[in-house]
Amino acid sequence: MREIVTIQVGGFANFIGSHFWNFQDELLGLASDPEGDSVFKNQCLNMDVLYRSGETHQGVLTYSPRLVSVDFQDAMIVVVLIMDVYRSLRIYVCSLNVAGSLGSISSRGTLYNEASSVPSDVVTWKGSVSTQASEPHKKNLFLQSLYEEEQENLTHKRNGFQREIEDKDIVECLDNGVQFWTDFSKVHYHPQSLYELSGLWMDVQEFDNYGIGRDAFSGSFQGEDICERLRFFVEECDHVQGFQFIVDDSGGFSAVAADFLENIADEYTNTPVLLYAARSPTSYINLRSRKQTVFRHLHDSVSFSRLAPYCKLIVPVGLPSLSTSKASTFLRIEDEKAYHCSAVYAAAVHSASLPFRMEPVGPTADSFAVSGAVDVNGFVQMLAGQARQNMVSILDVAMPAPPLTGKQGEQSLLGSLQPLTPEVADNVEDFQAVESMIVHGALGSGGHHASVSAVKDSVNAVYEHATSRPMFCHLSVARCPLPIPLPFPSIFGNLVGQHGELLDSPISGSKLRGSLDVHSIPMAARLRSSSAILPFLQNRLGNLRKFGIERGALGAELLRSWRFEKDEIDDMGETLSKMVTALVPNDELSSDSD
Amino acid sequence: MSLRVLNPNAEVLNKSAALHMNINAAKGLQDVLKTNLGPKGTIKMLVGGAGDIKLTKDGNTLLKEMQIQNPTAIMIARTAVAQDDISGDGTTSTVIFIGELMKQSERYIDEGMHPRVLVDGFEIAKRATLQFLEKFKTPVVMGDEPDKEILKMVARTTVRTKLYESLADQLTDIVANAVLCIRKPEEAIDLFMVEIMHMRHKFDVDTRLVEGLVLDHGSRHPDMKRRAENCYILTCNVSLEYDKSEINAGFFYSNAEQREAMVAAERRQVDERVKKIIELKNKVCSDNDNFVVINQKGIDPPSLDLLARAGIIALRRAKRRNMERLVLACGGEAVNSVDDLTPDCLGWAGLVYEHVLGEEKYTFVEQVKNPHSCTILIKGPNDHTIAQIKDAVRDGLRAVKNTIEDEAVVLGAGAFEVAARQYLVNEVKKTVQGRAQLGVEAFADALLVVPKTLAENAGLDTQDVIIALKAEHDRGNVVGLNQHSGDPFDPQMEGIFDNYSVKRQIINSGPVIASQLLLVDEVIRAGRNMRKPT
Repeated sequence: MREIVTIQVGGFANFIGSHFWNFQDELLGLASDPEGDSVFKNQCLNMDVLYRSGETHQGVLTYSPRLVSVDFQDAMIVVVLIMDVYRSLRIYVCSLNVAGSLGSISSRGTLYNEASSVPSDVVTWKGSVSTQASEPHKKNLFLQSLYEEEQENLTHKRNGFQREIEDKDIVECLDNGVQFWTDFSKVHYHPQSLYELSGLWMDVQEFDNYGIGRDAFSGSFQGEDICERLRFFVEECDHVQGFQFIVDDSGGFSAVAADFLENIADEYTNTPVLLYAARSPTSYINLRSRKQTVFRHLHDSVSFSRLAPYCKLIVPVGLPSLSTSKASTFLRIEDEKAYHCSAVYAAAVHSASLPFRMEPVGPTADSFAVSGAVDVNGFVQMLAGQARQNMVSILDVAMPAPPLTGKQGEQSLLGSLQPLTPEVADNVEDFQAVESMIVHGALGSGGHHASVSAVKDSVNAVYEHATSRPMFCHLSVARCPLPIPLPFPSIFGNLVGQHGELLDSPISGSKLRGSLDVHSIPMAARLRSSSAILPFLQNRLGNLRKFGIERGALGAELLRSWRFEKDEIDDMGETLSKMVTALVPNDELSSDSD
Repeated sequence: MSLRVLNPNAEVLNKSAALHMNINAAKGLQDVLKTNLGPKGTIKMLVGGAGDIKLTKDGNTLLKEMQIQNPTAIMIARTAVAQDDISGDGTTSTVIFIGELMKQSERYIDEGMHPRVLVDGFEIAKRATLQFLEKFKTPVVMGDEPDKEILKMVARTTVRTKLYESLADQLTDIVANAVLCIRKPEEAIDLFMVEIMHMRHKFDVDTRLVEGLVLDHGSRHPDMKRRAENCYILTCNVSLEYDKSEINAGFFYSNAEQREAMVAAERRQVDERVKKIIELKNKVCSDNDNFVVINQKGIDPPSLDLLARAGIIALRRAKRRNMERLVLACGGEAVNSVDDLTPDCLGWAGLVYEHVLGEEKYTFVEQVKNPHSCTILIKGPNDHTIAQIKDAVRDGLRAVKNTIEDEAVVLGAGAFEVAARQYLVNEVKKTVQGRAQLGVEAFADALLVVPKTLAENAGLDTQDVIIALKAEHDRGNVVGLNQHSGDPFDPQMEGIFDNYSVKRQIINSGPVIASQLLLVDEVIRAGRNMRKPT
C-alpha cells in the first residue's frame, strides 16, 4: 500500500475537499453496511491510501483523512471603531463573524476532544479573567442531525428514537444556506489537519491577489507550522506515493500554496505532487474597470507561473460559468453557490484519484471490480513525462456518464466528456495527445453496473471508431459508482434516474433532484495532455507580456507593489513561454520564425 | 476633488475628521489591550463562533486573533507585532503608548494647536528620552560566566506577567538555564536551538528542561528497542526508501523478468546504504553499546527491517531543525551520504527512550555530554495550559537573550517612565523654544501611561499613585510601583527588571507612528463606507 497525503489550500479548495471527503466517507459507510449494495461492498479500493488510523489518549481508535487544510482564520474578536455624529468614540468589540472559514466546526475537530473543551478554571493565571464570546454560529439542520446521531450512538438509546429532523429539510436547508465548507462536512478531521492563517487583518474578499498573500506563509513562522503539520502525516507513511494538492488559486492563497509547494519540493524531492488549481465561478466576475481587468489577468499569469514549477502535474479546474457549460448538460447548477460548483469538481477529483487506490491483483489477472491501477508517479509520468514534457493537463468529466449500450450508446462516451478546465480549444487534432481515462460505475444493459471487461471492451471500441485518436490512452475502470451522500446539492436535472441512468423522458415532479432521489451515478473522467490547452497558456503568457513585461506596461507598477523584481517577472515569462513552445506544432513554429 | 469625479463612491474625510478618526482608532485599540498589561492584568478568554476557546494574556497573540477593520488600527497593530518580531516583547506597551500619545495630542489639538508643532516636540522628546535611557540603564557585565541572578530576574519579570507566581518562578530557572546551555562565546544566540516540545500529559508544574532533545516521533518497527543506554547517534539526511521516480527516466525493459531484475537492482542500492550503516554499527559498538539512526528522509519497511535485525533503532522524517540541534546536543556531524561514514560522525547519548501517549510518540535523547542544544518540555492537562506556558516560555527566552546581548537592563515597574517624565518636564522642556514645549509635555505625560495602567489593573487609584510616585522621585529616589500595596518602592530591591532593547524600541517606534497619524489631514477610501461596520 502506498499512501497519498492530501493538501487543501484556500476557501474554494476546501469546499471541493469537503465534498471529496464526503464521498470517501459515504464509500466507507456503504462498504460496511450489511444491507448495502454488493457493488459497494467489494470495491477493491484501498481507503488506507487516503486515510490514517490512529488512537486517542483514551484509547479510542480513529480513522481520519490524511489531510492538511489551510484556510482563513475565524477571527475571535472583531474590533470595529465607529465615530458617531458627535465625534465621541464608540468602540464595539463585537463579534460579527464576517470572516473566517470554519463556521461552526472547531479547528481541533471533534475526534480527539478532551471530555470538555471549556476549561472549568484557568489554571495558569491567578488574576482576573475577562471573557470575550463571539456569537455562536448556529448549527444548521444537517450538523444538528449529525450531532444527534452521535449522541444517540453514545447513549445507545436505539429503541423508540424518533428522527426529529427530516432528510428533506436537511437537503433544503443545505441547498439554501451553505456558508462555510464545514456546513456540509460529515467527516471527522484529525486535530492536526485544519490550519488557520491568522494575523492577516483583512477580509477574505480583500485577500484576493498574489501579492497580498506573499507574506502570509513566511510571516511569524506560520509556514513552519504548516510544514510541521504535513511532516506529521508523512512521517507515519511507510512509502508516500504522492501529494494530492488542491489550491484555490483565485486569490492570495495561491501565493501561500506556491511557498508551501516550494517547501515540499525541497523536503520531499522525489515525491510527485499532483496539483489541482481550482477556482469558483464567482472569482471571474467583478471586472468592472480596465484596472481590475489588468489586475485579474496579472494575478492569473503570476499565480500560474509560480505554481507550475513546483509540481509534477498541474490541472487547472474551474470554468467561468459552470452552469452554462457543456459539462453540466444534465445538471442544474447555480454559479454563485460554491456548494454547487465544488460538488462537480470534487466528483471529478474523486474519479481521478481512483486508480491510485485500486488494489493491484497481479500483472495479468484483473480483478472483477477494478482494473488499471497506477500510482501517482506512474500517472504523472504518463501524462507529463512523455516526449513533450507538457505538465499541464485538461480535466474532462462526464457526470453522469452515459450508459455503454443502447441508442445513445457508444459514440457518446467521448462526446459527453466535457472540459472543466477553462480556456481550452475545441476540436483540436493532436496526434501526440496522451490521455488517462477513468470510468467507474458505468451502466450496461438493463441498468446494471457493467462488468470491468465489458467497459474496457466498449471503451476500446469507442476509440477504434473515433475520428481522432490520441497517441496513448490509459484506461482505469472500477465497478463502483460515485455514491451521492446526503449532504449533496440538488443539482441533478430531471433526466437523471435513481442510479444515474439517463432517462428518455423527464421525471415529472420536482425539477431538481438531489441526494434523496439519486443514490449513485456512473462517472467518467479524463485527464489529457494535449495541445488543446494552448489558449490557456497563451493567454497567460500574452497577458504577462502585455501588462507586465513590455515597456510602459500598465501593470508594471502593480507587479512592483507585489514585490516582484524585473528578473523574476522575466523568469515567469520564460517559464510560460517554454510551456507554450513545447506544445506548438512544429510547422507552425517554423513559419513563426520566418 | 478629482477623485470624486473619477470615482463617485470614494469617500473623503478631511482635516479634523480624518485626525479624529485616527485618534479614536488608536484609543480604541488601547482600550482593548490595556487590561492585559502587567502582573495584575486580566487574562482574556476568547470564545469563537464554533465554541472554540482561546486563553491569552499575550498582546501579540491577542492582536492576531482580532479582526481589525479600521485602517489606522491595523497600522498600529502592525507596528506592535513588528515590535514583537524584533525584540520579543512589548506588544501591549507599544499599543498603549501610541494610544496615549494620540490621546494627549488630542487635548492640544482641540485647543487649536497645529499637529506639526506637536510632532516637532515629539521628536525632541524622543531623542532626549533615548539619551536618558542610556544614562538610566543598569549595565550588566556578561563576560564568560553571565550573572545568572540578573538573568533570572529579567526572565521572572516577564514570565510573571503571563503565569502565576510559583509556576513563573519555576519557568524562570528553566529559561535561564536553557539560554545559558545554548550560549556559545563570541556567537550570537540562536534561540531555535532550544526546542520547545509539548505533551498533553500530567500537570503544568511537570514542565521541565531536558538537557538533550525530545523528538515528536518514534521508531516505526515493532522489534526496535524502546529504551537504550549508551547510544551512538547517527544524524543523517539520506533516503533509505526505494524511490522509483529517481530512476524512471532510464527504465527500459522488454519483458517481465527484466523489469523484476531492474527493480531488484534498484532495491539493492537502498540496501547497500543500509548495510553501510550496519557496518559502521558493528565497527563501533561493543556489547553494551547501542546505535540510533535519526534520519531526515524516509526509511521504508524493508530498510527498517534490516536495521531492526542489526539491533539499530531508527527514526525517520526528523524535523529539519532537529538535524542541527542533534549535532549540537550529542556531538558528531550530520551526514548527507553514507559513503564516507566514520566513527567521528557519530554523536553520543547516555539514554534514548520512547514515551507513548495514545498515537503520539516521543523520543527522548538524554544524558548527553556537554550539550549546546536543549529542549523545554512543556506539560499540561489541556491545550490551553500548554499554550499559556508556551507564550510565557517564548517571552522568557527572548528576555534572557536580550539581556545577554544588551549587556544592560532597565529598572521596571514603571520606574523608568516616571524618571524619564520628570527629566523631560524638569530639564528638557526648559531648553526648548516656543510651542514645541507642549509637544515635549504631551510626550512626557504619555510616558506615564505605563505606571497608570499598572495601577489601574491592580485596582488602585491612578491619581494617588502618580502623585506618590512623582513625590518620591523628586526626593531623589528611583521609584517603581508596588502593585500589591500601591506604594512607591525600589524595583531593584524586588528584582524587577525590563529589557533595555525592548524599551528603546518602544520609545523609538511609538512616536514615529503617532506622528504619522497626527499629520494625516485627509483620508480617502474608494469603495466601502468606513463609517459603517461591514
